[in-house]
Amino acid sequence: MPQTKRSPLTPESQLPLAPASFQILLALVDGERHGYSIMKEVTARTDGAVRMGPGTLYGALKRLLEGGLVEESEQRSDAELGDDRRRYYRLTKFGLRVARLEARRLEAMVRAARRKKLIGTETA
Amino acid sequence: MTAERVYRLLLRVYPSDFRSEYGHEMTLIFRDEYRMRGATALAFWMSIAWDLTHSAMSVWADSLIARGKNYTQIFEAIMRIAAILAASLGVFGALNAVAEGLAMRGRGMLERPPVLAVVLGGVAGVLLIVAGAAVVRSTRSARNTATIALVASLLIVSIVRLTNPWMSELSELIGIALPVALLAVLHWPRRHDDSSASPA
Repeated sequence: MPQTKRSPLTPESQLPLAPASFQILLALVDGERHGYSIMKEVTARTDGAVRMGPGTLYGALKRLLEGGLVEESEQRSDAELGDDRRRYYRLTKFGLRVARLEARRLEAMVRAARRKKLIGTETA
Repeated sequence: MTAERVYRLLLRVYPSDFRSEYGHEMTLIFRDEYRMRGATALAFWMSIAWDLTHSAMSVWADSLIARGKNYTQIFEAIMRIAAILAASLGVFGALNAVAEGLAMRGRGMLERPPVLAVVLGGVAGVLLIVAGAAVVRSTRSARNTATIALVASLLIVSIVRLTNPWMSELSELIGIALPVALLAVLHWPRRHDDSSASPA
């Protein structure tokens, strides 16, 4: 059954996001995915640096669902993975706004790190 | 025992509501990963153990916080009921003080009307009404007001009780037991006290 919860909170009040939560939101920016697809996308995008286990994934997804950042779309099977019906998740408009704000927040931190020559000056 | 069954057993480290909501999906992911990464890989089982351990702690923490919020809501409901009871009994106490004074005077049991006792009883009743109204507001300053009103009411009733031994058991119950009970309710330790002020 589709599950949607609207948050009465502002997008700013959701920041900073936990790293796992932001990784999930990033994975869902391209469109809806089921749990395993989210995991694979995160692993591929980070070149294997970030590997989320099922517990981490669904713990974070539960919080995102409760916060209204993500919603369930429908259950269906994935032809590549067999006949089991899987829950698909997608970003809400609220979730997209939060993801954008978090990305900007991180961008500002990286800019500050560059200004202080913490990064961007490596010779090797 | 298959690896999937082992994993389903391990899922018992999570709260039951989380397990019933996501256990099936997690098992599907475990199955997918198990097929992809190989059945005997030690690293795979180590990663599963690590994931279970640290995510279970996080999920339990979330679950306990959610339960704490529910307890706080129940507590707020008890406070409101107590407040309504205090205000109602305050009205009754004030009227009762007048009625008892008049009854004693009518029966000629007292040489002079217990004016002071009646007035103090009425004041104690009014203080209970004030305390009840303050408890309903449920803010920190209102709680302080309620505490002061309840302590004052308790002191007044105690003085009346000592100086006027004719006070009925019902009046004693209303005048002494109720403020004590309300003070206990007001100052009972609560989780997430004033949590509404800082959302996350």
